[in-house]
Amino acid sequence: MIQFQQVSKRYPGGIDAVKQLSFEIRSGELVFLAGHSGAGKSTLLKLIAGIERPTSGAVLVNHQNVSRLSRKALPYVRRHIGLIFQDHKILFDRSVFDNVRLPLDIIGFSGPEVRRRVLAALDKVGLAGKESLNPIALSGGEQQRLCIARAVVHRPAILLADEPTANLDRDYAHDILELFKSFHQVGVTLVIAAHDESLMADYGRRILRLKHGEFTA
Amino acid sequence: MKHWLRLNRLALVRTLGSMVRTPVNTLLNLLVIAIAASFPFGFYLLLSSVAAVTGKVPVEPQLSIFLRNAATPAEIGKLKEQLATDGRVAQVRFVPRDEALKQLQERVGSADLMAGLTENPLPDAFIVTARLGASSAELEQLRDTLARHAGVEEVQLDSAWAQRLERLIALGEVLLQVVVALLAAALALITGNAIRMQILTRREEIEVAKLIGATDIFIRRPFLYMAALQGLLGGLAACGIVAAALSWLNPAVRDLAATYGETFLLRLPNPAEVAVVCAITVLLSLAGAWVAVWRHLRRHH
Repeated sequence: MIQFQQVSKRYPGGIDAVKQLSFEIRSGELVFLAGHSGAGKSTLLKLIAGIERPTSGAVLVNHQNVSRLSRKALPYVRRHIGLIFQDHKILFDRSVFDNVRLPLDIIGFSGPEVRRRVLAALDKVGLAGKESLNPIALSGGEQQRLCIARAVVHRPAILLADEPTANLDRDYAHDILELFKSFHQVGVTLVIAAHDESLMADYGRRILRLKHGEFTA
Repeated sequence: MKHWLRLNRLALVRTLGSMVRTPVNTLLNLLVIAIAASFPFGFYLLLSSVAAVTGKVPVEPQLSIFLRNAATPAEIGKLKEQLATDGRVAQVRFVPRDEALKQLQERVGSADLMAGLTENPLPDAFIVTARLGASSAELEQLRDTLARHAGVEEVQLDSAWAQRLERLIALGEVLLQVVVALLAAALALITGNAIRMQILTRREEIEVAKLIGATDIFIRRPFLYMAALQGLLGGLAACGIVAAALSWLNPAVRDLAATYGETFLLRLPNPAEVAVVCAITVLLSLAGAWVAVWRHLRRHH
């Protein structure tokens, strides 16, 4: 599903965010990405989504070389990927409902189908009944759930989450991880970046550990 | 196709929503567009009103040939012959000096015109009507040819004033082109800037939309709708401004014309002209918006 071949990313200024990474994530796998902040977790996720282009090497998603895609083709690849951002990127000028519907508008869903899917996604993440609120009225944990609802509303095959449990207390973090587990059970490929490894241990999944842009044992 | 229509309808609804949500901004943008467009349009209507007058006044090109007092009958005969054979001349009438004096006395209504004068001061003259449709260059050439003739004192081209007006209108038309070009550029810049402000207020939305798979077209669409709508409403408002201004001027123009014994009013815009003005403002707005969005997308790729 996702394949890295000798991928390096150097940011302007000579900082190597990731160095010569090669790995493969199979379809339907749930993989944790561990490491301190600055280890290259976010960069790795951005490379998968085509938000960053590698300095060298190839990133394959669904057998497509994302790093070589044209500007025109990239949006269509991103529609198969659900993104949960570290900084949420929630739009506060519109309701919870309108935040979640954005991917559906982009793909071109209409009328009753939009409503059905948005409400289903909100229900799934435990925000049922809050669709008409402004996101500012939600708690931190609820905003995180809103972000997840927006990422899954168009049922992407791949879900990438950057620090989804940061700033959440332990119980709440477990709730979120349970939510991801339920997506995993219906066949979604998940890559979850987190710095707190103790959370991942409970799930007994594959863990990729990054340090200074390289894998450690 | 259905999908495309749906996306467009969605963009249009969003656009109308955001215009209604910021009424002051929307109104100010419309006014700026309207005022910028009303200048060249109003100027154009003024010109076309005045041009219509010069068309109405019969610009019958007439030349008056005044002869020397010392001109011999042979010279006069030769001139007469030449005028009769010249293709540019439609009609010739000889006015002897005695007849000219009589006419003058009749017009002034005084028999004492000659009191104090020993002899008739008026010269013999030919009144030449040139062929209709003769260009001003042809007429001037004719005047110069005739002026060189022996026995001719002076040739006057009587339609000179009309030609001067025609040239003035031609000058106005060039001026109009300059004004149109300048204000068209201003209009595109204004709408481009208005759209740029819109883009800035919706920067986060654009960023998120791009990250989750929006194409450039999807992002551009609502802004183009907004620009087109602004252009259309601005164009209509410009026509309104121009119609109001001309209607306001018209009573004064009518009074002025009345002193010349004429009935004359400035022309108001007709539907075809309104359509053209709106089409131009829409296209310019679209151009401005396109550039603004293009610049933003390129910078933030």
